[in-house]
Amino acid sequence: MMIETLATVESNRELAPGYRLLTVDFKQDVQVSPGQFAMLKAHASIEPLLRRALAVYGVQGSRRISFLYQVLGRGTEALAQVEKEASVEALLPLGNNWPVERAANQRAIVVAGGIGSASVLMLCKELAASSVDAQLFFGAASKNAATGCGLADLSALGLPLTLTTDDGSLGERGFVTAPLERHLREGAGAGATIYACGPWVMMKRVAEIAAQFEVRCLVSLEAPMGCGFGVCVGCVVAIKTDGPLGYDSYKRVCTEGSIFPAETIRWEVNAMTH
Amino acid sequence: MAEAINHDPRLAIEIAGIRFHNPVIGASGTFGYGLEFAELIDLNRLGGFATKGLSARPLSGNPPPRIVETHGGMLNAIGLQNIGARAFIKEKLPQLRGYDTQIIANVFGYSDDDYIEAISILNDGEGIVAYELNISCPNVKEGGIVIGNSPESAARLTEKARRASTRPLIVKLSPNVTDVTLVARAIADAGADCLSLINTIVGMSVDVNTRRPRLSYGTGGLSGPAIRPIAVRMVYEVARAVDVPLIGIGGIACASDALEFIIAGATAIQIGTANYYDPTVTMKVIDGLSAHCQSNGIEKLNSITKSILTE
Repeated sequence: MMIETLATVESNRELAPGYRLLTVDFKQDVQVSPGQFAMLKAHASIEPLLRRALAVYGVQGSRRISFLYQVLGRGTEALAQVEKEASVEALLPLGNNWPVERAANQRAIVVAGGIGSASVLMLCKELAASSVDAQLFFGAASKNAATGCGLADLSALGLPLTLTTDDGSLGERGFVTAPLERHLREGAGAGATIYACGPWVMMKRVAEIAAQFEVRCLVSLEAPMGCGFGVCVGCVVAIKTDGPLGYDSYKRVCTEGSIFPAETIRWEVNAMTH
Repeated sequence: MAEAINHDPRLAIEIAGIRFHNPVIGASGTFGYGLEFAELIDLNRLGGFATKGLSARPLSGNPPPRIVETHGGMLNAIGLQNIGARAFIKEKLPQLRGYDTQIIANVFGYSDDDYIEAISILNDGEGIVAYELNISCPNVKEGGIVIGNSPESAARLTEKARRASTRPLIVKLSPNVTDVTLVARAIADAGADCLSLINTIVGMSVDVNTRRPRLSYGTGGLSGPAIRPIAVRMVYEVARAVDVPLIGIGGIACASDALEFIIAGATAIQIGTANYYDPTVTMKVIDGLSAHCQSNGIEKLNSITKSILTE
């Protein structure tokens, strides 16, 4: 059940330059599953007009929810200004969720790139608490970005973690897809599910690698959203269908997603958005 | 069974014989098929809503990116992705009939024949109270021509739709014309029961790094508070040019915005883009209109339609 409400800001602190953690009190019980998101903006603000889609990063108790975000444009710049005790307009929970198999013989490979980590922390917590054999691959642009994207929280879960940075300032130098590919080449992907969230090019590459090694792969996509609950039809992604682009070719990231089986995405058609 | 609702009798209006609880209508393209809002607002309190544009056959719409935010508004080029008239009747109408709100089917086509075909299909849909002809979508063109931008083509289609339709006909006007009253008069003379205005204004936004338009379609329709003064002006002009009732649309986000349109000449209003960033805005506008009636001693809100003082 969606909740449309005013929530109160408890904190909105910088984790690293350009990255912030917003924690809000919804003053009512909110049920959120790993991978879901909310539409948020500062209360009564005229500019920007539209709310912003932010992944639910963490849930404390039943009413407090935190959102990890990168300050990138007008919407997140405005959110960065929101102070403790202020109100934010919020609609949640939105989108589908990461399906988690909890059986002991399951294997999970989580691949997070940059702020895509925001979508997978809850998933990783669930995996860490289960008997699933889980591996975490986390890539960021730099040490600063890794810190801002919640490296400390991911590390604290105790899952095997492989870290990369583009500039080599922390962990292995290069893209996160390189150690992922090595891992699968060693045969570690048999029977696994890959859960990926990150930049478009990263997810596209993860999808290719998953296909190559015949591993099930789910991706959580991002798109500019007008509403977040399915009415504006602005956030669509092109989906593979038989034949040319047709009526069933576009699915809404907000309602049919944001999580899709990687092999269903027409990666080349959507490239312009990213 | 829904709880009985005490509608404010001061807000009740009638257009072409259709009674609305109040003049607040969800605008086509921003209200889905209505059901998307059922979890968020009490649809039974709503005056009515116009469906996403329905065509005879399902449409895929434009490739992404389809929307971009601008100052005080947004551009969209969705391209009328919709499930088609038949699927609407089969999959959406049965559930919608359970709500006490007026369902207006917004109709779209690429040619006159497409529109007539969609209307013929929808005529069988029980529970639809009227059609709103979308002759003004800036994001779909056949041969570069938008039917609603010329008085002749708009009147021709209105006449054909009038004959095909078993229900009252609302025609939605384009603002992308030099003189909106010329098209308005032609459509009213051709038999439209009501005019709704305005549709979005053609605009463009450019990514300065890639030097490409931000929308895949190139141009898009501008909506939101930024366009409201243009819309109010056009309602004011059209109210002086035709005798049919008007539905005002354009950037309405609160009761005061709605009242501007009503005073300028509208009998009802539609709320569009504001639904995106405040899904409960329609309820707030209804409450705000009641409060305005209360504080100003207005017994019937429609008594102030076209009450603008220009002396």
